[in-house]
Amino acid sequence: MIDIKPEIFMPNEEIIDINNLTNEQVALEINNLNLHYGDKQALNNISMKIPKGQVTAFIGPSGCGKSTLLRCINRMNDLIDICNIDGEINLHGENIYNKHINVAELRRKVGMVFQRPNPFPKSIYENVVYGLRLIGQKNRRVLDEACERALKAAALWDEVKDRIHDSALGLSGGQQQRLVIARAIAIEPEVLLLDEPTSALDPISTLVIEELINDLKEKYTVVIVTHNMQQAARVSDQTAFMYMGDLIEYSDTNTLFTTPAKKKTEDYITGRYG
Amino acid sequence: MDTLDTGRHISGQFNTELDTVRNHVMNMGGLVEQQLKEALTSVSDNNEELAKKVLSSDYKINRMEVAIDEECTRIIAKRQPAASDLRLVMAIIKTIADLERIADEAEKISRVALEQFSSKQQDMLLSLDNLGRLVLSTLHDTLDAFTRMDFDMALKVHQSDNRIDREYEALMRLLMTYMMEDPRSIPSIMSVIWSARALERIGDRCQNICEYVIYFVKGKVIRHISEEDVARDFLGK
Repeated sequence: MIDIKPEIFMPNEEIIDINNLTNEQVALEINNLNLHYGDKQALNNISMKIPKGQVTAFIGPSGCGKSTLLRCINRMNDLIDICNIDGEINLHGENIYNKHINVAELRRKVGMVFQRPNPFPKSIYENVVYGLRLIGQKNRRVLDEACERALKAAALWDEVKDRIHDSALGLSGGQQQRLVIARAIAIEPEVLLLDEPTSALDPISTLVIEELINDLKEKYTVVIVTHNMQQAARVSDQTAFMYMGDLIEYSDTNTLFTTPAKKKTEDYITGRYG
Repeated sequence: MDTLDTGRHISGQFNTELDTVRNHVMNMGGLVEQQLKEALTSVSDNNEELAKKVLSSDYKINRMEVAIDEECTRIIAKRQPAASDLRLVMAIIKTIADLERIADEAEKISRVALEQFSSKQQDMLLSLDNLGRLVLSTLHDTLDAFTRMDFDMALKVHQSDNRIDREYEALMRLLMTYMMEDPRSIPSIMSVIWSARALERIGDRCQNICEYVIYFVKGKVIRHISEEDVARDFLGK
């Protein structure tokens, strides 16, 4: 019989208070972000701090602006003509919407993975090292190493190590999605944006990716958009609930899913929405 | 731990959470066992000091119950456990409630140590101690069955509860004789009755915990079912 100190019963994972982050703990700071598609306002004055080395999930019903917000973080919305943005998103204290920011460079620091796996019609190897080649890396050994490291980090190495020169299109959907994640992390980004990364996958592949996300946060800051709120509950440390372009509630996942502060959040996560 | 299989989820995080919460229940069980043991020792040795220690330690167990409850709530909210995982979480939630009550009963028992007994009444305390030892070993076996999620052991402990009931009834008859012999001793005998009652209740709560173990392992509820039916269902008798 051991004499137990009740202190050990406090939750052992550190829960960061997102309202009280030090500058070192912040990966991204979004300030008063407004976004219009033509006349329609899609994001209303969003302000939030996304902590470093953690998984932050955006949840909310379709059309609530969660994907739009995610795409703002690496300026994907620049490609849409009618899109107007004001406010700022700071990465390392610098607004990524500043005139002199090199967007390609920004996207190198902020990687993104989409809903459907989109491998290039090339070999597995070429897919992973694509980004490195793009930034001028030619050294074969460096590329080989980066490829192995990225595939291992994406929990795909063991499955493909004997056929990395085969076409990536021969992989299963779940494997392709992990390949795309490997491609995103091969260039060592700081932030990884995942836009519904498992919505096209079966439940087991989904769990594999979720476990991968959990491992990735040791090195990267992960921001994930998901329709599946149980997924947000499983993988994220922080959850932001959005509704009609507003950020309704943003808090640590444990709190949000057990005792949400807002009625709207409660209705949504308990399936009473609409 | 083979029957448990908690370590095989794809999500390593989930594995850790289930293991952690189980470990916490075992720690809590250990502490409850210690409380009961010390309560019984304080009575048999008439050790006021030890009794006070038991009384002042109960808050730890209460706090553990709350903490484990919260852990389970989080697991349900975040992991949506299914099948054996769900049964495990349900079994844990119920087990800790019973453990907490067992600790409360231990607290009641230790209060007897604060009473004064004449030398004539010592054999009454001895009988109480006998019952106490039986209950303590039942609790020990129960926690063992829980730790290993051992179906056979749980069933055995579950069926041994009537031994406690018999001892309890024998003690009651003894105490009644004492009261009839010397009505002035009724107040102090009453406190012995309360703690005998507490011990008997602990036996029942152990039985409950065994039921949760059986529920976890077999997915069958054996509450409110006669012993014969249980034996027929599980042992083919």
